[in-house]
Amino acid sequence: MNLRRTVTVAGVSLASLLLAACGGAGTDPLAEPSAGGSASSGGGGQPVIVGSAAFTESTVVAELYAQAIAAKGVQASTKLNIGSREVYLKALEDGSISVVPEYTGNLLLNYDQDATATTAEEVEQALPEALPADFKLGSPSAAVDQDVYVVTKEYSEANGVTSLADLEKVAADAILGGPSELATRAYGPEGLDKVYGAKIKQFKPYDSAAVRARDLNDGKIQIGEFFSTEAVIPDNGYVVLEDPQAMILPQNVVPLYRAEVASDATVTGAVDAVQQALTTEELTALNKQVDVDKADPDDVAKEWLTSKGLA
Amino acid sequence: MNWGWIQNNLPDIASLLGQHALLAVVPVVAALLIALPLGYLVFRTGRAANPVLAVLGVIYSIPSLALFVALPLVLRTPILDPLNVAVALTIYSVALLVRSVVDGLRSVPRDVKQSASAVGFSRWGRLLRVELPLAMPVVFAGLRVVTVSNIALVTVAVLVASGGLGQLFLRGYNSIFYTPLIVGLVLTVVLALLADAIILLIQRGTLPWAGGRRA
Amino acid sequence: MNVFDYLLDGANWLGGGKILDLLLQHLFYTAAAVLLAAVVAIPLGILIGHTGRGSFLVIGLSNAARAIPSLGLLFLAVMLLGTGAGNIVVVLAILALPAILTATAAGISGADPEAVHAGRALGMTERQVVSQVEWPLALPLVVSGLRSATLQVVATATVAAFASGGGLGQLLTSGQAQSDYPQMFAGAVLIAALAILFDLLLGLAGWGVARRARPRSRTAVGAAVAPA
Repeated sequence: MNLRRTVTVAGVSLASLLLAACGGAGTDPLAEPSAGGSASSGGGGQPVIVGSAAFTESTVVAELYAQAIAAKGVQASTKLNIGSREVYLKALEDGSISVVPEYTGNLLLNYDQDATATTAEEVEQALPEALPADFKLGSPSAAVDQDVYVVTKEYSEANGVTSLADLEKVAADAILGGPSELATRAYGPEGLDKVYGAKIKQFKPYDSAAVRARDLNDGKIQIGEFFSTEAVIPDNGYVVLEDPQAMILPQNVVPLYRAEVASDATVTGAVDAVQQALTTEELTALNKQVDVDKADPDDVAKEWLTSKGLA
Repeated sequence: MNWGWIQNNLPDIASLLGQHALLAVVPVVAALLIALPLGYLVFRTGRAANPVLAVLGVIYSIPSLALFVALPLVLRTPILDPLNVAVALTIYSVALLVRSVVDGLRSVPRDVKQSASAVGFSRWGRLLRVELPLAMPVVFAGLRVVTVSNIALVTVAVLVASGGLGQLFLRGYNSIFYTPLIVGLVLTVVLALLADAIILLIQRGTLPWAGGRRA
Repeated sequence: MNVFDYLLDGANWLGGGKILDLLLQHLFYTAAAVLLAAVVAIPLGILIGHTGRGSFLVIGLSNAARAIPSLGLLFLAVMLLGTGAGNIVVVLAILALPAILTATAAGISGADPEAVHAGRALGMTERQVVSQVEWPLALPLVVSGLRSATLQVVATATVAAFASGGGLGQLLTSGQAQSDYPQMFAGAVLIAALAILFDLLLGLAGWGVARRARPRSRTAVGAAVAPA
C-alpha cells in the first residue's frame, strides 16, 4: 500500500508539473507579459525594450519601433499595454523600458501645465527644456493623433453642435464618456468648463473604446472622447468637434528615450526612418487593421515595415 | 468565434495559461505549508481557537481586489508586481486552510486518539501517524475550495497586476471582440475543474481508506 | 505622500462620482442583487430541499459556481447587453444565486426529520410542514447562505467599475489610471470595511436566528411546532 501511494502521488505531481511547464516554458511567471516582437540575433548596442501605453495605436507604433531597431541588428523587445502616461513614464524612469512612443502636445502638458505653446513648432521647441534630464526626445513625425471630442451626426444636426464652443448651450444635459484618466486631465471636463464655459452634466469613465462608441451610438452618452486615429470615428460617421481655442495641443508622434539610449545612433536612426515614413492616414489604417480586422499589432507592423523597406 | 485568431495566438494563450496556473497554485502550496503547523497550534488552544478562527473568517471576507491594492503598502512593492497577488492569495488560502485543519483535527474521534496512546504512540507519533491522516479528508476539501477560488481570483488580479487568463478578458472587452473572452472563460473553468479533479485524485491515492467518505 | 490623503480630504466625498455617490451605488448593487437572487433561490431551494428532487443540481452547482470567473462573466454581459446598472445587477444576482440556493436546499432537507414527522402526524398539510417546521429550522443555514452571497456580491460589485458600472471599484480604476495611489488605497479601505461590516452584521443575524431555532427546550419539535 505504501508503494502504491507513493507512486500515485509521484505520478500525479509529475503530471501537474508537466502541465504547468508546457504552458509556462520559457516564461518567467513573475514578469509582465509582452505580446511579441522579439529579438534578432546579436548586433551591437544594449538591448532595447520598447514600452507602450494601453491602447492599440501605442502598441502598433511600439512594434514598429522595436522591429525596425531589430532589423538593424540591435536586440529589441516590447513591453506592451503598460498603462496610462503616468504609469509608463514611471517605467521609463526606473529603466524597465528604454523608449516609448509619445505625443508632443500632451507630453509637454505633462511636464509644464502652464505651457503657452499652441502650434506644432512652438510645442516642439518648448519640449526639450520641459523634459527631465534623463529623458531625450527623438524626431517628431508628421503623423498626428489628437484627443478629440466627437458627437454623432444626428446629435450634431439636431443641436447645431460642430465645435467645442457650441457645447456651452447643451452641456447641462450632456453626459461625456472618456477613459478614466480624462477626469483629471487639463483638457478634460475641467478644461471644457474653464476654456469653453461648458459644464457637462456628468463624466462617465469608459476604459473600453468599443463600449464607449456603442453607448454613444445608443444615446447613453452624448459626447465621446477618442483619439483622432481610431477607426470608430470614420466607421460611425462621428462629427469631430473643432477646437478654436487650441485647448487640445497638436499631438505629433514622437519617441521618448532614456538619455543613454538616445546616444545610440543605430537605434535612433532606425526609429527616425519610421518617423519619417509614417503619416496620419497610414497610422489610422494600421489601427483599423488591429481594431476592426482583428489582426495582431506585430503582424501589422511587420507588413508595413516590409512594404516601406525598413525591415 | 474567430478560430483564426485562436490559431494565431496559441503561444500567447499557452503562456498566459501557464502564468495563471502558477499564480494560482503556488499560493496554495505555500498556504498549506503554513496552515498545517499553524492550524495545529490553533487547534491545541482548544476553546480559545474560536476567536482566532473568527478573525480569519473576517480576513477571508475582504474582497480580493482590495487586498491586492492595499498590500503594496505593506510589502513595499510596486503596484503592478504579481507578488502582491501571490501574497494576497496565500493569505486567503491560509485563512481558509487553517479552518480546515482545525475542523479536521477536531473531527478525529476521542476514542481513536485514546486507543493510539494506549497502544504506545508518543504525542508526536500520534499526531503524525493517526490524527493528521484522519484529518486530511477535511483538509483536502479545503484545498479543493481554495484552489478553485484562486484560479477564479487570478483573473480579477489582471486589473492591477498583469499576467494570467484575465488578459484575454481585457482584450475581448476593449474591442467588443468575443473570441478571446470566450477562450478565457472556457480555459479558466477547465483549469479549475482539472485542478479540482487532480486534488481529488491525490486524495484518493494517498488516503485510500477515505475513498467512499464524503469529505 | 500620505496614503490617507484622498480618504481624509472632504472634497472627495460629496458630489457626482465622488466617494459617497460610489458608496451608495455599491450598496444599491449589493442590496438589489442579493434580493433578486434570494427571490429566485429561496423558493427554488425550498422546493428542492423539501421534495428531494433536483438535489444533484444543487451539489454540482456550488462547486461549478466557484470556478466561474466573475470578471469574465461581467464583461461578457456588458458586451452582449450593454452598460447600465440593471444588467450589472442581473450578473451579480446570477453569481449570488448558487450560495443561497445550496444553503436553502441543505437547510430544508436537513431539518430534523423527527420534527417533520411530528408535524405530519399532527395533521399538517405539506405547506404547513414547510412553513412551520422546515423553514424555521432551516433559517440559520439560509442566513449563512445569504451571508456568503452578500460577501460575494460586494466583492464582484467592486469589479463592476471596470465595465463602466461605478461603485467603489471606480476609486481603484480611476486611481490606477491617474497613478493616484491614495485614491486606490481609499477604495481598498472602504471596500474592505464594507465587506467586514456586512460579514459581522449577517454573522450576528445568523447567531440570533440560530439561537431562536434551537432554544433550550428538550426537543426542537416543541419549539418548531409552536404557533408562530
